[in-house]
Amino acid sequence: MPAINKIVLDPLSDNNPITVQMLGICSALAVTAQLPTAFTMSLAVTAVLCGSNTIISLLRHHIPDKIRMIVEMVVIASLVIVVDQILKAYAFEISKQLSVFVGLIITNCIVMGRAEAFAMSHPPKEAFLDGLGNGLGYSAILIIVGFIRELLGFGTLAGLKILPESYPGNGLMVIAPGAFVVIGLLIWLQRSITKKYEEV
Amino acid sequence: MQKDDINTIKFAAIICLVCSMALAGVQGALRSTQERNKRIDEQINVLKALAPDFNPQGEALSEQEQEKYFLVGDVPKDWIPVYFDEFVEQNEIEIAEADTRILYQLKNPAGEIVSYAFPAEGKGLWSTVHSYVGLEPDLATIRGITFFDHGETPGLGGEASKPWFQKNFRGKKLWDNGEPVRFEVAKGSADPETDYKVDGMSGATITGNGIQRFLNKTFREYNSAVFKSKRAM
Repeated sequence: MPAINKIVLDPLSDNNPITVQMLGICSALAVTAQLPTAFTMSLAVTAVLCGSNTIISLLRHHIPDKIRMIVEMVVIASLVIVVDQILKAYAFEISKQLSVFVGLIITNCIVMGRAEAFAMSHPPKEAFLDGLGNGLGYSAILIIVGFIRELLGFGTLAGLKILPESYPGNGLMVIAPGAFVVIGLLIWLQRSITKKYEEV
Repeated sequence: MQKDDINTIKFAAIICLVCSMALAGVQGALRSTQERNKRIDEQINVLKALAPDFNPQGEALSEQEQEKYFLVGDVPKDWIPVYFDEFVEQNEIEIAEADTRILYQLKNPAGEIVSYAFPAEGKGLWSTVHSYVGLEPDLATIRGITFFDHGETPGLGGEASKPWFQKNFRGKKLWDNGEPVRFEVAKGSADPETDYKVDGMSGATITGNGIQRFLNKTFREYNSAVFKSKRAM
């Protein structure tokens, strides 16, 4: 059984779902133009990951193998709808900005991937921590990208002016291609620090 | 049937039942809060159409404040209901037989009507786009407009709810020389000389066409039902 802190800490850097496994890129591009949306999305995905991993782990001895993936999907979809409803009730402005991307957590490969690869074969406590670790790994990248894009794109952070009024804003950072550039640079940076990459 | 298959079906049935019950419970518990959010959002949108350059106290706004209060949607929530009922009058008017619609009127403290707004909605590309159109007292010039509560693609048709697109309608005309104009959402940039064309959204021709269609249709309905006679007065 893997050590507990390894379960939580591994996905933060060495096995990061976005920069190492290359999953969940779509939402990482879409919702990171500003910090508040990136942060809310991070919370939503982390909550869904913890919930789905725990529930699927609890059910793992009972889930019939033939319909394994469909059951995982039903659990994940239900959790995402709950999160979406809660956002619509208590964070209406942000939920409008996130629009379809909350619903699309259902198809986020990280969630399904962790359910299949980890929760189906580990007890609930480890599964929960694995969900938490992967959620935090995803969140870390989203928040870093959101921070860079909002600062360079609008000169603000969470809506507050940081750069001087004369800063004109960078249009590239506001649109999705800017996120590609930022994520690409992040991956490069991470790999040159950790030295973990495949030689070609 | 094998015992295995029966168990599979049983399990699937139980999971579906539990999940749908849970979702129904959550939906029921949150419904009233969500409906309140929607109502406030609707009122903010009516106000954005009626009074795009006034703050809650009725004072004129600077360019920067306009962005802040009305065009971005960052409105302090507590003042809306009071302000809304105090100055905004809501009339039901008959558009056609057995079809009544709403016409909002914004009054200044002296009781004079300073602007009108009416709801318009129609298909974009993926979804119904909701809108409020605000008119000057001449019932011809667009004072403000909002597009909200839609499911258009973010970055393409979704740009309809962005300030740049909505600002682009201000001062344009729906009525010219005693006749309704054919209002147009251009493909690309509109000729700045014309009074009835606005810049389109690139990559969102169908959303733009939809907006153009439902604006013209709704305006014609309101025009023949009430604006015509009001203008004559």
